[in-house]
Amino acid sequence: MDFFSDGLLKWQDIFRPLAAALGAKPHTLVRWFDTNTFFRAPEISGRVATLAHPDGVVPDGSVPRPRVTTLPSPYMFSRAAHTDQARNQLMVALAEQVLRPAADAAVAAGSQLIHLEDPWLGYSGIAREDWAPLGEALKILHRDLKAKLVFHVYFGDAGPHIDHLLKLPVDVVGIDLIETELNALGSGWDKGLVAGVINGRSSILESLENTVEVARHLADRVQPRDLYLSSNCELGYLPTGVAEQKLQRLGEAARRVRELVSV
Amino acid sequence: MTADLNHKALLTHEIGSLDKPGWRVKAYAGKPLGEADFEEARSWGERLTVPDYKKLLDLLHHAPFDKGQKAEIQRWSSLYALRLEESAGLDVVYDGEQQRTEMYDWAVNHTNGFERRGSVRAFDNKYYSKAAVVGPISLRSPFHNAEFAYLESVADAELKIPVTGAYTIADWSFDERYDVDTDLREPAPERRRKRKAARRDFVLEVARNLIRPNLEALIGLGARWIQVDEPGASTEADELDLFVDSFNASVEGLNAMFSTHLCFSDYNLFFPAIERMSQCRQYAVGFANYDSRELGTSDEARPGYQVIKKFRDLAYKPALGLGVLDIHSDFIESPELVRDRVLYAVKVFGDPGRIHVTPDCGLRTRSWKVAYEKLRNMTAGVELAREALRL
Repeated sequence: MDFFSDGLLKWQDIFRPLAAALGAKPHTLVRWFDTNTFFRAPEISGRVATLAHPDGVVPDGSVPRPRVTTLPSPYMFSRAAHTDQARNQLMVALAEQVLRPAADAAVAAGSQLIHLEDPWLGYSGIAREDWAPLGEALKILHRDLKAKLVFHVYFGDAGPHIDHLLKLPVDVVGIDLIETELNALGSGWDKGLVAGVINGRSSILESLENTVEVARHLADRVQPRDLYLSSNCELGYLPTGVAEQKLQRLGEAARRVRELVSV
Repeated sequence: MTADLNHKALLTHEIGSLDKPGWRVKAYAGKPLGEADFEEARSWGERLTVPDYKKLLDLLHHAPFDKGQKAEIQRWSSLYALRLEESAGLDVVYDGEQQRTEMYDWAVNHTNGFERRGSVRAFDNKYYSKAAVVGPISLRSPFHNAEFAYLESVADAELKIPVTGAYTIADWSFDERYDVDTDLREPAPERRRKRKAARRDFVLEVARNLIRPNLEALIGLGARWIQVDEPGASTEADELDLFVDSFNASVEGLNAMFSTHLCFSDYNLFFPAIERMSQCRQYAVGFANYDSRELGTSDEARPGYQVIKKFRDLAYKPALGLGVLDIHSDFIESPELVRDRVLYAVKVFGDPGRIHVTPDCGLRTRSWKVAYEKLRNMTAGVELAREALRL
């Protein structure tokens, strides 16, 4: 691997450390999209407080560098919360008061990638009028951030959203290629691409040759500014041993692609 | 044909699991037992007036245990669990999976065609052991028969046997048999089509080759009420028809009362698919997790129960097992809160005969102390509802 995280092993779900730091009570247990995992919806009422102690999101000291820190995207966070507020207002407030302090703390701790995960957009979609507030929220996170900002859509076909995604104020867009047609990505990107080429929900090991070919195709056709090979989603749905085998294979694929590209 | 058992109005029952006592877990795992374990066995034996519980205490002091003794300790655990539920006043009981490892693991470990792959997180810091289907599925041998035969011999109250359903078993497993193609160069719609076709084959093979023969074996032993547990049923919103097909394939033509348990889902998703599930005579559904803790019987006071109208309107008129206890919290619902949840449901249904009262789900994540208090308040709340309804 080229970037490292602690796998969020101490997080009971993607919102919990942030919700705990805010004093937001985790309450109702809700299914995490179409998986057999569940999260507790953060209860957010009234004005969103500023995240004063984002220690819970900082990677463990044992994590090698360079690091990647994963946070919930403001869109998903605002939609998953139980709240009495307008969702888009909440989205911007969460970006400003919660996610930006968390991202800054992660950068100070050595993270060079801030990875915003957004299965909500992939699974449930987004209304046309929500793209602008999402852009506003991401602008807050992107402005002067001393790391690359990734917006990763998964658990759904990102094809219909590509044009909008490429206009978002982020450095890198992540795509779930288990659900998205390769040809839907277009070409000539002016952003980086996190290519979700490993299926985080299947125990079947991907073919090394196929992964390498797909990566080459992406490099040649999509021509992203940077190409990151990754899983399509978090690996928490896999037993550790299976996840480890998949990561080994991903690393080997990346090594081979580098060799081929350098030739 | 599916049977109806003519239960009384506001029948109370559990859903499935209970926590396993420390003495049962340690004894089975070959770990040393301590004073706290002996005291747990003694105090609950005394409190629940478990017959001859001192024989268990004597047995627990004679570690290490051979295979026969471990099985005997498991049966004691079953007996304690039955007595806990009977003592709490439940009308229909089960032993809380004291003889099973867990609802999924137990099933796949007694089935040909699966291999274990390891543990994955379900929620909070709770994990479950996940397997992959790797070959043809068949029942190795009926895996609830010994449990049923024992429970039948010692239960005072009516028994209900939970069996993990086909859709859930498939959904909680990896698929290494039906859908093995990983080529991302293939068009995504084609990959999705193949994946869905593979899921259908997988789920229906579990229904026909695993669940159905297991149900037939239980019925042959005299089981009259079998609850098909399907907590995974609405995991994929476009597969509700498949869930219904799998239920029907599992139970069609068998002579027992079949119910199903659904939980932690958007229950709206089940409609209209379950209109075709007429052999299901009761839906036991978790609602309390979504509800307010305030008293009241208005729509506003009971936000967690709005969807029950849809169950009411099913043409084949199944009973509704109304989840009134949040099983993921130590909050003890008061009898008055249970009463109001029940009265609200009766008001919506207009027929208390179609309302049964249950926890949201199995209580295995709660201590016995908390589970017992919750269940006692549940039955006390039902009594308050009966008084209010003059039943």
